[in-house]
Order: sequence, then structure tokens, then C-alpha cells
Amino acid sequence: MRAREPDGEGYVDRDGVKLHYEVFGDGEPTLLLMPTWTIVHARFWKAQVPYLARRFRVVTYDGPGNGRSDRPLDPAPYHYEAQGRSALAVLDATGTERAVPVSLSMASQWALWLMAHRPERVLGSVFIGPSLAIAPGHTGRQQPFEEPYTSTEGWAKYNRYYWQDHYQDFLEFFFSQCFTEPHSTKPIEDAVGWGLETSPAVLLAENDAPWVDQATLRDWCAASRCPVLVIHGTKDAISPLRRAKRLAEATGGALTVLEGAGHIPLARDPVKVNLLIREFVESLPATEPA
Amino acid sequence: MTTVRAAQAGRAAPEQTRARYPDEEGQVERDGVRVSWARYGDREPTLLLLPAWSIIHSRQWKAQVPYLARHYRVLTFDGRGNGRSDRPPTAAAYDDDEYVADALAVLDATGTREAVLVGLSRGCRWAVELAATRPERVLGAMLLDPALPFLAPLPRERANSFDDELDSSEGWAKFNRHYWRRHYRDFLEFFASQAFSETHSTKQTEDMVGWGLETSAEALILTQLGAQPASREEMEAVLRRVRCPVLVVHGTEDQVWPHAVGAAVAELTGGTLVTVEGGGHCPQARHPVRVNLLLREFVESLGGRRR
Repeated sequence: MRAREPDGEGYVDRDGVKLHYEVFGDGEPTLLLMPTWTIVHARFWKAQVPYLARRFRVVTYDGPGNGRSDRPLDPAPYHYEAQGRSALAVLDATGTERAVPVSLSMASQWALWLMAHRPERVLGSVFIGPSLAIAPGHTGRQQPFEEPYTSTEGWAKYNRYYWQDHYQDFLEFFFSQCFTEPHSTKPIEDAVGWGLETSPAVLLAENDAPWVDQATLRDWCAASRCPVLVIHGTKDAISPLRRAKRLAEATGGALTVLEGAGHIPLARDPVKVNLLIREFVESLPATEPA
Repeated sequence: MTTVRAAQAGRAAPEQTRARYPDEEGQVERDGVRVSWARYGDREPTLLLLPAWSIIHSRQWKAQVPYLARHYRVLTFDGRGNGRSDRPPTAAAYDDDEYVADALAVLDATGTREAVLVGLSRGCRWAVELAATRPERVLGAMLLDPALPFLAPLPRERANSFDDELDSSEGWAKFNRHYWRRHYRDFLEFFASQAFSETHSTKQTEDMVGWGLETSAEALILTQLGAQPASREEMEAVLRRVRCPVLVVHGTEDQVWPHAVGAAVAELTGGTLVTVEGGGHCPQARHPVRVNLLLREFVESLGGRRR
């Protein structure tokens, strides 16, 4: 059961991969709530959609690999450029000339691709808990992924073979790291459930697609001309605050630091995040009625 | 009585921060026992959110106050035995009649001629007593998971003695004065686990245990020894005297006071029963939006009644 059902929905076909999108509300401008790592799907925006759709037009979609989209086992659709082009395809399919992409975690790369390659389609960009190679990640996360695991503790679970052997346990561990705030049992349960809607095979295919390298990210950021808001929690155990700082500096954007928040504040501090998004969107010059 | 106006901005919080701070606070004193009240908002009618058992205090209404105060004048007070109210050292000070008299004193002190009463659990006893005996002060009563004795059988596991030393300390055997003295916190955690039978209640459980720790086993024992309704006849007689509109809300999974109690209260008062499927004992904390909207709708349905 949802607090807000979509007003429209459909599929786009991207090189034979079907992606499902939904449209809520009809205000201006359009917000494009992007997918993120395919371990979850578009319902992770559930605390944003009902509120934002009362004021703006909101488009969500499932990326390849989860939700109501196809689950390709080939890395190509998961490549950052393919992900950027998928976002573009959803904008086209929904007749959206310009939008404000809102991205979580690794989707920051795809939002930057869009900003760099189709600047005329992007009114402004909101990044939440960005995870990208613009600055080093947490050192504790650096565990061998490709070798058979010798430990089953902590980030050692982030391992090709462990995923195949103990997928649900990995999901429970990973989301315990995403939600470092107390009283997160419900968001953890939700996220583990969404993770179980896909498979280790999908995550492994996704894992074989490269991330954007640091030099490219710098170029894209330097070329960025639109207003940017970066939101990041001080207790983000997935991606450190330094990445958000670097991203805000490189794009000339604003940084809002959420004291005590983890990696997914949109689920644990939804009111705060919703108000920040609204305030940012309403501050954009082009949103004034024509 | 002293009245202190709280500055709303930049106020140092001696507790959790609040979404809404009182517009006015004060105390009433009766027989040397001071009871602290707070007022939020100023639009008529007035809602009096009653205390419940003194294992908790007025912050039990934290998910109601910010919403309701945008629409109404909202009064809360800490029941004697917890919060910023005194913890008198005799059982007689915790008689049901004392809580009812405190509620009236708060209405008087705040210049409130009449109010909609909102009770939770034990607070519903005081709400129906007020509605029955002072109908001119009561516009309506919303009763959440009422803890009214004799109306329906309690779960068998609750039938342990409160006063005797028990062999067991499992489950409801913890509801025992000797156990409270020895393991107060453990009792609080057990009770909260029963009060919040819904999944994902870690925050509400933590709140309840924290509020319970603001009083003591000794004070809580006294609240159990104060005078309460003595028979089914007495309880029914009070309910049958209630003339104001009544809305009862009760959860099907209430582990503390079963749903049948709420159904009986609705029937005996001629009130409306709303059943919360899967709901536990504290819907105001676990189903706050639903409770708030039900209360708003209830208050609006009272229209200009007698005003």
C-alpha cells in the first residue's frame, strides 16, 4: 500500500532492457528521483514522493536490475554512461524538457553525467550521500572482492562469493551500515526486502561495470553550471563526508551536513530532506511561472 | 499557582528537543501536591490531553501536540507521580479521585470552562469520571485503549498477584511490587514490550523506559495502591452516566487491556468504536497520524455544540 499512487506509468526500452517509470503530480518543475545501486528500487523514495508530488511533478524509475525493470546479467546496461542515457530516456518518454535530478549514493555519477552531457536538460541537481571516486572512501571498506572470502565479519561480506553463499546476510549487514541511526528497523526491513527482489547474479553483473574515474569527475564538475545542493550525514558509514565536501567545492554547490545522519537520510530524516529539496527547487530561477 | 511564559526560541532543553514548545506553563497545587501543566495554541475548543499511568508523563502526547496545537488550544499535565509533578508519598494521594480533581484544577487554573477530553489507558478512567460527574465541563471524550476494570476478562497470564512474593519472574509475573523494587528497569522494559506489540517500536519503547526511569518503583507502587473502581456495577454505572459524544479507539493486538474492553466502553457510553487492526496499547505513539485525524474529525463533529 502506498501513500500516493502514480498518475501515470510506463516503460522505456533501452537497447532491449525495459525500464519502468512512474509520474506523480503535475506541478513545475519536474524532479527526477533517480535510481541508485540496484540493490534497491524506486520505492526507496517512498517518504519523498507523496510530499514532493503535492508541489512538483515527480518522475521515478527503476534502474536496470530491480523493481519492475528488467534484470540484465550483462554489465553494459549498468555502465555509468548507460545509466546516464537511461535517465535521459526517461525524461524523453515522460515529455520532460528540463528537470532537477535528485540522486542518492552512486547515482551521483549518473547525475553528473547528465549535467555534463545534457546541461540544457538540468535545472539544478541535488546529491544525497554521494558515493563516487572524487575523494577516497572509508578505509574499513577495502576488502578483497574477487577472492574467496577468508573472513565472514563486517565488510568481508562485501565479496563476490559471500554474496552467492549468504545473500540475505550480506543485505542485512549492508543495510545495517546504511542505517547507522538508532530506531532504523523499518527502513532496514524495507531495504532488505527490496534487495531480495533482485539477485546476487544481478549485483555481480552490475559490479563489473566501471565507476567514473576521478579525473573525469573533476572535468564534469568543473563544467557544471547549474545550482547544486549536496546533503550528507556525519555518520555515513558507506561514503565519507569528505566526498560531499569535494563535490560541493568542485561544482560550486552548497553543502548541507546532517549531524548524526547515516547514508540514507531521505528515509531516516525524511521531513528535513524533503524541506531541503523543496527549498532548493523553489530557489531555482527558472521555476518562476512563465 | 505560578505561571511561567516559556521563550519559544533558543530555549535550553533539559530533555529531548520538542517539535513544539508550550506557549504557557504553570502548576496547580492541591493538598500540598503540585501538578505541572502546559498550554499550546489558543484556538477553541480546548482539548485536555489527560495523563495515563504515571509510568509515563505528558510527553506521551508528543506526536499529538504539534499537530493539534495548530488547530486547537491544547492542555497537557503530568500526572502526579512523574514528569514535573510531585511524587506524593502516600497511596491515598494516587486515588482515581485525585487525578480527576487535578484535571478539574488544571481546567480552572487555565480559565477553561469546557474541554474535549482525550485519555489513554488508565487516563480513560478519569475522563469518564469527569464526563459523568461534571458534564457541563466536557464537550466530548476520546478514549484510547481504555484501561477500565471488570468489563472484560484480562489475559490469563496477567492474573498474578501484585502484592505477594512470586516464585516466577517471567512475563507478567514481573508486574509485582517486590519485583519492581528489585528490577525496576527490567520491569519497565517488559511492560514497554507489551505496550508496544507492533513491530518497529524501538523508539517508543526507549521513550517509555526513559520516562519510567524519571519516577521510581516506590512511587509506581503507590499508584497501584490508590483507590480504583471497586466493582463491575460501579464501573458500568459511571459509563452509563456519560452523556457527551464518545469515541473509543482500541487495537486488536492490545496486550495490556484487550480490545473487548474498548468495545464494552463504547457500548455502555453509546459511543463509537474505531478498531485499529494490529494495533497495540498505545495508538497515539504507533499510529499518530490516524489518531490525530480521528481526533480532529471527532472535534469537528462536535461543531458548535453548546458553544
